[in-house]
Amino acid sequence: MDTSNPAVFVNAELLRLHVGRRVRAVIQVMRSDGGGTVIGRSTDDQQIVVKGNPPGPLTTFVEVIGIADSNQSIRAEIWSKFGDTIDTYSYNRICLLANGDYKHLFI
Amino acid sequence: MFGSSQLDSFSGGGFMPSQSTQGGSDPSRTSAKSRDNPPLLPLTVKQISQAIQSSDDKSNFVVDGVDVNNVRLVGMAFKKSERVTDVSFVIDDGTGRIECTRWVNDAVDTKEMEEVSDGMYVRVHGHLKGFQGKTQLVIFAIRPITDYNEVATHFLECIYVHHCNRKPQIQSGLSVSTPGQTDVPAAVSAPSSAYNSSQFSGQLNIDGLKGIEKIVIDYLEQPSSLAQEKGIHRNEIAQQLKVPLEKIMEAIASLELEGLIYSTIDECHYKSTSA
Repeated sequence: MDTSNPAVFVNAELLRLHVGRRVRAVIQVMRSDGGGTVIGRSTDDQQIVVKGNPPGPLTTFVEVIGIADSNQSIRAEIWSKFGDTIDTYSYNRICLLANGDYKHLFI
Repeated sequence: MFGSSQLDSFSGGGFMPSQSTQGGSDPSRTSAKSRDNPPLLPLTVKQISQAIQSSDDKSNFVVDGVDVNNVRLVGMAFKKSERVTDVSFVIDDGTGRIECTRWVNDAVDTKEMEEVSDGMYVRVHGHLKGFQGKTQLVIFAIRPITDYNEVATHFLECIYVHHCNRKPQIQSGLSVSTPGQTDVPAAVSAPSSAYNSSQFSGQLNIDGLKGIEKIVIDYLEQPSSLAQEKGIHRNEIAQQLKVPLEKIMEAIASLELEGLIYSTIDECHYKSTSA
């Protein structure tokens, strides 16, 4: 068992608290420039830049796991296609809970 | 799918008691909640990493005061490696990584494991095992996730279950108010109503103790009571709980008979056996 390298649930607001660390975020894909950068909307309705190489065509929603690069960008290592419909409200709540009162269950 | 005997033979020569006897012979009252029917607990790897291994039995874990046997995790599968009799892999749920083993007996097991590949989001049900200082999960069901709302839902459930399991502990640790009367000030302002036999009738708690017995044992199991070497005088219990002494004595006799408390320096001082 290894809990030394967790990926924290983040939205755009929480991303800035974890720069340099491993994070996970669900984004709604807005546009992709083809050169490995995807612009997406976070679960708290802000813009996030995801750098990396997306594996083929993406679905509307994707979860990226990677290092928080800056206040607004993530260097993605793992892309998971979350399909075309997802309850972003629930995911956003998890982000808040996992960084708040129930942080000890996550990181 | 897996009989307990199969799980046990895995854990080392059949020395481990089966699941049912673990629960039945466990004298610890704190872990009584899941005694008969061990539930399937949604947990995070972080929670498992912080689980307390009960000292008497190495294969048993306690999370939030509840015995943990079977758990549910949602995360990504990695490092899948197939052998003749089993498939091993790692589940990363974002809070940590845990080693998993899936024994392959039937075609069903093989088929289920074939659907899983590295980097795939899965939901697993498994039995938590501690063996030679390592914690691992013996999986008895694994499903690839198709509706990704399950990820958020799983973690919400982890939080919910954690919250529910923490709550009773806090209450029984700090509050000595009578069942049904949660706020202490009300009990203090109306001492006569603090004891009311009809209030307790039919109120059985998980251990089958009646109202007064329950509050007496709760009182004796408070840290401050346990710290008293000579135990607590029955008059003090009666005073503190605002219950007539004769009722307290009845409860004490019954609790003593059950082996939950014992008399200390004389027949008036009692202590909980759980200390």
